Amino acid sequence: MSKSMDELMELVDKMPDEPAKPGEFLLPELMAIAVAHEVRDDDIVFAGTGLPMVGIMTANMLNAPHALLIYESGICDGKTMHVPMSVCDQRAANMSSSLGGLVDTFGYYLQQGYVTLGFLGGAAIDQYGGVNVTSIGDYFNPSHRFTGSGGNSDIGTMASRTAFIILQEKRRFLERNDYTTTPGWWCWDHKTREWKPKKEVWKNTPFANCGPDAVVTNMGVYQFDENGIIYLATNHPGVSVAQVQENCGFKLNVERLSGETKAPTYKELFVLREFVDPELIFLPQKMEYPPAIKSIIES
Amino acid sequence: MPRALRQRKQVEIISLDEAVKKYVRDSQICAFSGFTGFNRNPFAFAWEMVRQGKKDLHIMDRHGSCCTWLLNSVGAMSVFETNWMGWGEMAGKLDVNLDRQYKAGKIILEDYAHGATAMRFLAGAIGAPFIPYHAPLGSDLYNPDYDALGRAGKRDGSHPKIAKKKFLQMEDPFFGEGEVILLPAARPDLAILHVAQAGEKGTARWRGVGTIDKEIAFAADKVILVCEELIPEAELRRSPENNQIPFFTVDAIVVQPWGAFPSSVPFYYDYDAPFMRTMDAASRKEDDLKKWLDEWVFGPKSWEDLVEKLGTKRLLDLKADSVTGYSTRMMRGKKPAPRMTMPLSVARSGY
Repeated sequence: MSKSMDELMELVDKMPDEPAKPGEFLLPELMAIAVAHEVRDDDIVFAGTGLPMVGIMTANMLNAPHALLIYESGICDGKTMHVPMSVCDQRAANMSSSLGGLVDTFGYYLQQGYVTLGFLGGAAIDQYGGVNVTSIGDYFNPSHRFTGSGGNSDIGTMASRTAFIILQEKRRFLERNDYTTTPGWWCWDHKTREWKPKKEVWKNTPFANCGPDAVVTNMGVYQFDENGIIYLATNHPGVSVAQVQENCGFKLNVERLSGETKAPTYKELFVLREFVDPELIFLPQKMEYPPAIKSIIES
Repeated sequence: MPRALRQRKQVEIISLDEAVKKYVRDSQICAFSGFTGFNRNPFAFAWEMVRQGKKDLHIMDRHGSCCTWLLNSVGAMSVFETNWMGWGEMAGKLDVNLDRQYKAGKIILEDYAHGATAMRFLAGAIGAPFIPYHAPLGSDLYNPDYDALGRAGKRDGSHPKIAKKKFLQMEDPFFGEGEVILLPAARPDLAILHVAQAGEKGTARWRGVGTIDKEIAFAADKVILVCEELIPEAELRRSPENNQIPFFTVDAIVVQPWGAFPSSVPFYYDYDAPFMRTMDAASRKEDDLKKWLDEWVFGPKSWEDLVEKLGTKRLLDLKADSVTGYSTRMMRGKKPAPRMTMPLSVARSGY
């Protein structure tokens, strides 16, 4: 492709808004776009490194151009030209409104109550949306140790709503976590040692109604019911409900399934590949463009 | 014993080698500047600590970095109060060296979270003994059974810098806003900050994110600046609003260009993701790690010698663009960076 970035920019609005067909996109692309669809135009978003960051950047370029992106090292409203490899990358600070530090992002923005959407990763999740990014097995003698909270537990409890992106496997979708890094809608009250709804544990704090809102996996998109229990909202194209259930460690509610996850549109695919991660840091080697996109680029 | 009042400091300009000899003691509590392995890691300093065989260190940091990766590679850390055992994000997530040390029972890990650590350093910086924070109730981070330093018998009050509890949960007595967590101040013995510019009196400046570096500088007893450039103090005072560190807090300055490699110093040089990937790969096998350490840590005669070994091509590729503050010549992924003049989001929708 010999077109300049400015020329490619002109083409964005010429790309069709219709969904790409099966086989025209890759799973990580579908997931990144599913993340983007969770972002609203008036959101203040606090996201972690990886696919969450790729997804919210895409949203910022398309469906949520006024969403304000916070990166935890101190960045307010970064407008990226090149995908950051870290939340402290100078690329994320590009054209930002102001720069500060962690006291700004976790104190002034998050604990103050400005953040409306947290987008985070996780190693394992329970049926109430509680996330473990710390350890498997006994905490002091773990069979597996993950990286630990980072900002996950703070963001996941103080953002009005939180979405997680998690690899779905039976051992990662659990009735209860071995270790809860970020509590979901039900959690331990460590003072009374009772298992309770989060709303009671957090009673009277400004954050009692904040919590998990959506989960994006490699198999589907999930939401939470009135009792704070996860249910399958959409299954990804090509993945059956039975396969989703097979890769879940508890009996999953599929009664509220509303259909298949929307495939990325041609416009979304074009923006994701050309403007969000053209360096292929997060996304795998890209496949050839489908005729619907190719014909516009070549015309 | 009450915390001693601080004394105004007189800065000294010394070499890397002298600074490590004079200021670092075994078993000391240290904090490093920057963010993960990517931004302003005082790596040259940690490198010299390893070369001089410093050990049994207690590190307080929001996460791992190139510095902690290196210290763990030789087992120089005995306590790590942290939030994130990773160090390189997309270039090396979990610190394999640390994982090995932890599973062998050679290091105590005290888990906190980013917000909590920021607040602990803020308390340390403003001289408060503790700080209330809406730290996540219901998280096992605030499960009283999971106090690693307490379990190791280190919270008996005998160490003036180790709090008697990991945290304390209490009801807000003032506004009735539910339960809050009180967090003990972080009070390191020594803070090492990599900055872009320092004046000869100690005033310092960086560009890009601040992470918790100013808080670390005020929370620590001793402060060492490693700088890219030593410039006239008068020059920094022409625009004091751009300075972050006031001179009277600084004990020593080390002038060490490229001293944050392989992390970045915005507007000076970018991070070296391929180099970080080779570090991560080396840490996966003990033989490879030994070879890597011999080649990159114990082999070079000096930091300058290491920079020379990196080669001109790499240094040119890493050199930051003076407008964006980063470089687009490094191959970070599988394809080169595109030539952009404006973010798509701004071009389409403004701010």
